[in-house]
Amino acid sequence: MVTFVSAGVIGLSMGAQYALIAIGFTLIFGILGVVNFAHGGFYVLGGYLAFTLSHVLGVPFVAAIVLATIATAAIGYVVEIVLVEKYVVDHLATMLITLGFYQILITAIVVFYGAEPMDFSFPITGSLRSGGIFVPYSNLIVFVVCGAAIAAVYWLVYRTRYGIALRAMADDGPVARSQGIPPATMFPMAFAIATGLAGLTGALVTPMLALDPHVGEGVLLKAFVVVILGGMGSIPGAMLAAFIVGLTEAYASVYLGGSKGALVLFVLVLVILLVRPQGIFGTEARKA
Amino acid sequence: MSAAVSTLRVERASKRFGGLKVFEDVSFSVPAGGVMGVIGPNGAGKTTLINVMCGMLTPTAGRILLDGNDITGRPFHAVSRAGVVRSFQQTNTFRSVSVEENLYRALKFNRLADGESLRMDDLLDEFGLTRHLAEPSDKLPYGHQKMLGLIMTLAARPRFLLLDEPAAGLERRERSNIDRFVDHARKVLGCGVLVVEHDMDLVKRICPHILVLESGRTLAEGPPGDVLARRDVIDAYLGTSAA
Repeated sequence: MVTFVSAGVIGLSMGAQYALIAIGFTLIFGILGVVNFAHGGFYVLGGYLAFTLSHVLGVPFVAAIVLATIATAAIGYVVEIVLVEKYVVDHLATMLITLGFYQILITAIVVFYGAEPMDFSFPITGSLRSGGIFVPYSNLIVFVVCGAAIAAVYWLVYRTRYGIALRAMADDGPVARSQGIPPATMFPMAFAIATGLAGLTGALVTPMLALDPHVGEGVLLKAFVVVILGGMGSIPGAMLAAFIVGLTEAYASVYLGGSKGALVLFVLVLVILLVRPQGIFGTEARKA
Repeated sequence: MSAAVSTLRVERASKRFGGLKVFEDVSFSVPAGGVMGVIGPNGAGKTTLINVMCGMLTPTAGRILLDGNDITGRPFHAVSRAGVVRSFQQTNTFRSVSVEENLYRALKFNRLADGESLRMDDLLDEFGLTRHLAEPSDKLPYGHQKMLGLIMTLAARPRFLLLDEPAAGLERRERSNIDRFVDHARKVLGCGVLVVEHDMDLVKRICPHILVLESGRTLAEGPPGDVLARRDVIDAYLGTSAA
């Protein structure tokens, strides 16, 4: 029972991080129709920026995370305008552009920081112990911060005029434009929000897990799994699927052993997709 | 706004895609409150004409003037904001959300508190949409989706409406809804309306003035009774008789 609860809390904490990554990924896909292969790169970038700010420049950890988030969002904004915007209707081109940007970014990080893992640690150590239940504080903090960020995104996307316009743009771009919505301001902002979320997750999570130039690949893969499971372009789908993936991983690794976790996860995804090929909240394929 | 009657004018407009000429040297005006029909065989350039007028495409030559102001080359959303609003041949709605949410979005995007002044509720009632407000819009019968899309264009407070085949896909008995919609747009909003349409009965009913496009040029213009009786217009539609 105690193990069950502890694993559950860790699963929720992992689910919350996956949700943040996947919401951004699905937002970009839903609104721009772009599969952002650089998404993991923004996670890595967030980690390195937070590391540099807090461990090299001595900025307090909280401020470092906030600054890393803002910086990755700003870089995402510029990347959308400079690299993606012109080719936004060409799916293959945007895949290659984002993949290319990812390669350049990661190579730049290797050149500046080297390929070795950084010694980046979470400033708060220790665990919450209660009745034999054992939860590291870092997991709790990640869970709370990610939860707050998810709530903020939810509010932005579902409650504000800007967010409603974003969703309308994802539904049907031409109809939204005929209602006076300007795509030129919507696309870069959507990209910035998404990459900012990836940066925030990287800044927050890499000190707990690991920070080296290649941690983004696993993150991108996980985002793909979550988004396909939840339904491409669906934000509620991504949230739900992220927690399914997080909890499955946590329980499978506790009860079946680490390497079987991935196996259970992919079998589960396969089964869900056999029953619902469009994903949990997915509708039909996106219009061309 | 000038004291003179507001007009939307297309002045010597041409559109080419590379070597492909879609239309050339087309000029006409739609006055506020007026209804103009644009007809012509498939491929005559009618939808491209709307695309150029609404800002989705830039004309290769010529100008689009709204009350004498050049709006050529302004982006699509800006042309909508300026009051030249189009509808699409297919449905004009946000498919993933309910009827109510569609209307809410249209009002919200145009910073309207409600559709009161536009009397949108009257049209929702008349077209039988009021009892479907909570339903997902893409589950409605096609005719209902199409009327919802047309009603949504009103939220943008158009001064000129460009309707691309509004009756296409509607059942015959539903087509009088288009008459009713156009009438509402003219009377309540004072809109000028340009209608691209294949249903000749509808065109004759609602358009006191029509323009025939054929292979990208203006073949004829005038009242439908005169224009549709012309030999060259009949030939354009039915092919030249061998005799």
